[in-house]
Amino acid sequence: MGGIHIPTLCHLQNQTPVGVCRLCVVDTGARVLSASCVRAVEPGMKVVTHSDKILHARKTLLELLMSDHPSPCARQEQSGDCELEGLAKAAGIAEARFAKRSIARGEDDSSLAIAVDHDACILCDRCIRGCDEVKDNFVLGRMGKGYSAGIAFDLNAPMGASTCISCGECMVSCPTGALTNKGPAGTAICAGPGTEIFEAEELLQIPVFRGVSGTFLELNRGAIVKRRFRKGEVICREGEFGSTAFYMVEGRAKVSLSAPIAHVKTQGGAKGFFKRLTSTLVGREEDRRGEETRDRTIPIDASVDLSYGNPVAELGPGDLFGEMTCMNFYPRSATVVAESDIVAYEMLRNVLDIMLKNKAFRAQLDETYRRRALENHLRGVPMFADLPPEFIGHLKERVELQGFAPGQVIVQQGDTADSFYLVRIGFVKVLENYPGGEMVLAYLSRGDYFGEIGLLGGGDRTATCTALDHVELVRIAGDDFRDMVAKFPGVRAGLEAVAAERRAANQQRLQRVDSVPIDQFLSQGLMEAQSLLVLDLQNCTRCDACVNACAEAHDGVTRLVRDGLRFEGYLVATSCRQCRDPLCMVGCPVGSIRRRNSLEVIIEDWCIGCGLCARNCPYGNINLHPFEVLSDDPQNPGRKKAVIKQKATSCDLCTHLKEPSCVYACPHDAAHRVDPKSFFAEMLGGSGAK
Amino acid sequence: MRIDRTHRAWAIAAFVMLAAAAIVYLSDTLNAPQGPRGGSVVGLLFGILGFGCVIFAALLGARKRVPTWRVGRAQAWMRGHLWLGLLALPTILFHAGFHFGGTLTRVLMWLLIITVASGAFGAALQHYIPRVLTAEVPLETIYDEIDHVRALLREEADRTVEALCGDLGLAKSSTEGIERAGGFTALRPIAGAVPLRTSAAVSAGASAAVAAARENIRLSQEEGAPLRIFYLNEMRQFLEYPGKHPHRLAHPATASSSFAALRTLLPGRAHGAVADLEDICDEARQLARQERLHHWLHGWLLVHIPLSLALVLLGAVHAVMALRY
Repeated sequence: MGGIHIPTLCHLQNQTPVGVCRLCVVDTGARVLSASCVRAVEPGMKVVTHSDKILHARKTLLELLMSDHPSPCARQEQSGDCELEGLAKAAGIAEARFAKRSIARGEDDSSLAIAVDHDACILCDRCIRGCDEVKDNFVLGRMGKGYSAGIAFDLNAPMGASTCISCGECMVSCPTGALTNKGPAGTAICAGPGTEIFEAEELLQIPVFRGVSGTFLELNRGAIVKRRFRKGEVICREGEFGSTAFYMVEGRAKVSLSAPIAHVKTQGGAKGFFKRLTSTLVGREEDRRGEETRDRTIPIDASVDLSYGNPVAELGPGDLFGEMTCMNFYPRSATVVAESDIVAYEMLRNVLDIMLKNKAFRAQLDETYRRRALENHLRGVPMFADLPPEFIGHLKERVELQGFAPGQVIVQQGDTADSFYLVRIGFVKVLENYPGGEMVLAYLSRGDYFGEIGLLGGGDRTATCTALDHVELVRIAGDDFRDMVAKFPGVRAGLEAVAAERRAANQQRLQRVDSVPIDQFLSQGLMEAQSLLVLDLQNCTRCDACVNACAEAHDGVTRLVRDGLRFEGYLVATSCRQCRDPLCMVGCPVGSIRRRNSLEVIIEDWCIGCGLCARNCPYGNINLHPFEVLSDDPQNPGRKKAVIKQKATSCDLCTHLKEPSCVYACPHDAAHRVDPKSFFAEMLGGSGAK
Repeated sequence: MRIDRTHRAWAIAAFVMLAAAAIVYLSDTLNAPQGPRGGSVVGLLFGILGFGCVIFAALLGARKRVPTWRVGRAQAWMRGHLWLGLLALPTILFHAGFHFGGTLTRVLMWLLIITVASGAFGAALQHYIPRVLTAEVPLETIYDEIDHVRALLREEADRTVEALCGDLGLAKSSTEGIERAGGFTALRPIAGAVPLRTSAAVSAGASAAVAAARENIRLSQEEGAPLRIFYLNEMRQFLEYPGKHPHRLAHPATASSSFAALRTLLPGRAHGAVADLEDICDEARQLARQERLHHWLHGWLLVHIPLSLALVLLGAVHAVMALRY
């Protein structure tokens, strides 16, 4: 901090400070020296970090610790980065003044993955906090008292017989050789031409890896590699599945998306008399999707967004891309091609996870994000779009970037609202508790925001927001938010309108839930539906007019299958149900599947065809179909050629028409788009369902 | 289309028009010295009205070709088709004064009568058969998929019997098609969670996917002989050609007694598999029933549509010739 180095052993950036090792002592003018990791700063406090008294105290502490520590320990032997021995060496301690421990505390070799040397343990508790706080495993704890105190697994069981899952967090947290890697199995990225695998010692020399545990790097030898790409080489392609992220060190890369040519469904754009006549007869309504879209950019898995009109951007040194793919195993959201010769570190999830916990690395990433994408994101909130540049600049400096692990609660219903959040990476589930249950109100992805209802209402959170996967948020503090809405009444009006709309929609959903809580409905998933395509089987002559009409309305590709669940005399056709809890929307790497302001879930034309939504849909109502799109011709630079590309399709309720075509074209009055609860309510009541 | 109370307005309108036409016709008949004639003003009006009804009815086919055109809901067109098409017959009869006339007009009249009769027959079938289909074929699938579903049923039956009796020496088909039926295979867990079964889900392996794994049972050659013989000599043939020959598995009662008899010949541990085979036969029987009903439901159109087209063409020829000559 401030260029002043204060040594620590028991403290880690991502763990609660406990002040156990006392190595970070400073002089605050009090009777005794204070451990700076736990001593709160007070106004007017004078802190001396380096004085003879302090240095002497630290050296004595190190000598005492070293007397209870085998030197060199296993870690020092393996990767040469035992923190205690490193500090002792720096303090000029060659030999301990104090007698060594006479009774050994023993070793535990029962785990296949991790070696435990209790003699090397300095009782800093970093492993315990790693196990409990970081991983929530609660396997590690303290045992014994005084001279025989040590760490224990479960109720002092051998590590191999305990409930330990060998996640390695304790080992990574350990500053000494008490917990070390036995190297039973390694993780490695496929080596190929231009790939360079590092040893732990080499990695620790690279600035962005300084501060990362050597044990961890030793454990994950091969999980991070240096790659060299020649100009024009493809680093990754959109839609492909992967498990790595890239951190660019040298060179420039072009990130792009196959150009969105046309909406998957037929658009207006009629030319010529006959087409104009047809267009009139078909009764298309004006497509307002563009106006509803929150911004004119396509979110991708990098520190930049792509412009809708020209989805191309440039990445350079210091940029990280592939974070969502790496952390959440989502498909690649864009294609990255080397614009010049490139050097990049490619890393697996465990490495990136640790790197993201490293303050220096995070600070660098956050700085890149603030510089390159934050303004776009802020302006992506429709109400912020017209804020003056000075205020956006002011906000950019004030916002806090926060990360959340999967399952972590971001805000809790009923808590006091103190912040406004903008989703930067990942998916957030918004859930409301009501008497008798809970209901998912929305899934928010990159560019979405939440927290305004509580802030504007001046009260409590109205819903619980939870990270579904690895989530990064932009947090605007309550004071800044209030300052903004006070200065810009237009922003306030816009946010209030959205908040009112959300409240009304949530209320409506909850009323529906109250009205028909039926077991059979739940078991068939019909409760989740907002709109079902049902066919009255007593009217239906199986003529397939509905299927043909659907195909006619969507470029020859039907979005419904006349088969599915039967409910009394009705067939619930295989067609998008517009679920209340649209699982299909979770994970879309480019945010192309979204819910319109009205009701329907639609798939935007920049879908990259990865198929994640189709796999996520529990009802099989999303399918992939080949479409012809124009793409860059690699053989003729600057020219485009038609290529076949998969895109996801699902029923969009014929939003471009006045009524769903399947319903309109049914000659037998058999096809109906219905709200399931109101439609089936009478029938269900009659059948005695509860 | 089911004829129910939603047709009331059309029925009343058609009846009123028919009554009005009948009054006009009677009045004209009583006042005309030579009786009713197609060439009289009233006769021509009846002709135009009747041919107009025929044309409107025939346009339903064109309307179906452009399902997305917003030119009125298809069901309104269908109602008009039914009632105006029906009205065309008495109107044309009024036009002709209940005479069949020369060759062309005689052909036209018979065409009209057969077309209207076939249409009425078709309407009756479409009113009745969907209910029968819904009630009797709960495992209904898409008509075009029936052959494919049958193939899957055969494969499932083969696997079931081979699991008990060992290799039957049957040709193995590709398993590529098992993941069929669009995205509906995703419904497996749901299909298993509810008592309702759909053929698509079942044939896609829903029951197999969700049912608890059955104990791996292998019968000795002697124990399995009755099943092997029954399957190869009877059931396999039925599954291959379910509707072609009279077969005792084609009838629920005789099939049930066949399987009951088979159970008595097999050890108890094989009864679960026999129940599966009975289910497979039941589904195959339902698919055969669906096929037959589907042919009834749509087969009459093979008569109705060509005759309608001929009626429109010859009607136009008759109109031109009558007006010109």
